[in-house]
Parts: sequence; structure tokens; C-alpha cells
Amino acid sequence: MYTIISPRLGNPGDQFIPEDGVNIDALLDGGLISTDTAKKSSKVKSEPKEQ
Amino acid sequence: MAISSTYLSNPSITINSVDLSDQCTSAVINYVSEQLENTTFSNTSRSFTAGLFSNSVTVTLYQSYAASETEASIYSLVGTTTTLVLKPTSSAVGATNPSYTLTGAFLSAHTPINASLGELSTIDLTFAGGVLTKAVA
Repeated sequence: MYTIISPRLGNPGDQFIPEDGVNIDALLDGGLISTDTAKKSSKVKSEPKEQ
Repeated sequence: MAISSTYLSNPSITINSVDLSDQCTSAVINYVSEQLENTTFSNTSRSFTAGLFSNSVTVTLYQSYAASETEASIYSLVGTTTTLVLKPTSSAVGATNPSYTLTGAFLSAHTPINASLGELSTIDLTFAGGVLTKAVA
């Protein structure tokens, strides 16, 4: 999953779906798209109680 | 006088999905089939048949080092293959505005600095090889 950063590829913030033959590494290197990172849960696990 | 000639007024080019139309001043698609001679004793004129296709696209772009501009889009493509899409105008693809896609084109060289004092910097790129397809819809 990639997100558009540069308006030269589409609307910034939209998901970027690469077509065949597109060089993803070059787009990432140039800062034109970014890699989506999985969002972490906001829940904080409680520490296990000590016995 | 030709009544159906074309001049480029608002062409469109994307390189590796990046729309660089506003940085491009020249683009040439070379759609080339190598010719293999197959002349025999039975011929009185030379005869040829198609060999491999040897396509390429040559473009001239204004250089810019700003974010999302020419340098950011091109630098990491050197030594790799990519896809280019060119159209005579930025309008929708159709019979009078065909789209040409070169897939798997190799960029072997780039001149990150190609400048003279007091002039706008430009770069010339040649994307070689790949499969050229034409779409009219």
C-alpha cells in the first residue's frame, strides 16, 4: 500500500496503485509516494499483575 | 497546404507515472523495427523482414531540484526500467488523441547538472527499449 505525496501523481493522500512497469523504488526515493504503515492500536495493554 | 497537420500546444507526458508535462519541452517517440535482409537468388531487388523492435523515447525537460520536480522524479530511474505515457494533448484519449505507452524502457544516463550561466537548465533523456503500445480509447 502506497500513499500519494506529490500532486504530479494524483491527489495527495490518496492511495497509489502502481500500474505495470512503474518503478516503485524510484518514486519512494524521490519522495513522491510513501509507504503506508499499519496503524497501531490505541489501546494500552495493562501490565500483568505480579503474584 | 496540409489541412490536417498537428502542432503541439498542450501535450502530455508521464514518466514512471509522474506527470512532467509542465517541465517538458520536447518529446520524440522512435517506433522502430529492425530490418533483417532475406534476399535470395530468386530476387532481383533486396528484400527485408521484420526483426526485433528497438523503440525509444527522447525527451528534454527543464531541470528543477525542488520537491516532486524533475530531479526527484528522474534521478533514481537511472539503470532501471520504467513506463512512459505520451499524448498529443492532455485531453481524453481517442482516435484523434492517441496515447502511446512505452513499457519496460531503460534509462541508462542522466545529467543531474547540465547548466550554463544565465540560462535555464535542461536535461535530455533517452529511454531505450521496451514495448510500445498505442491506444485510441
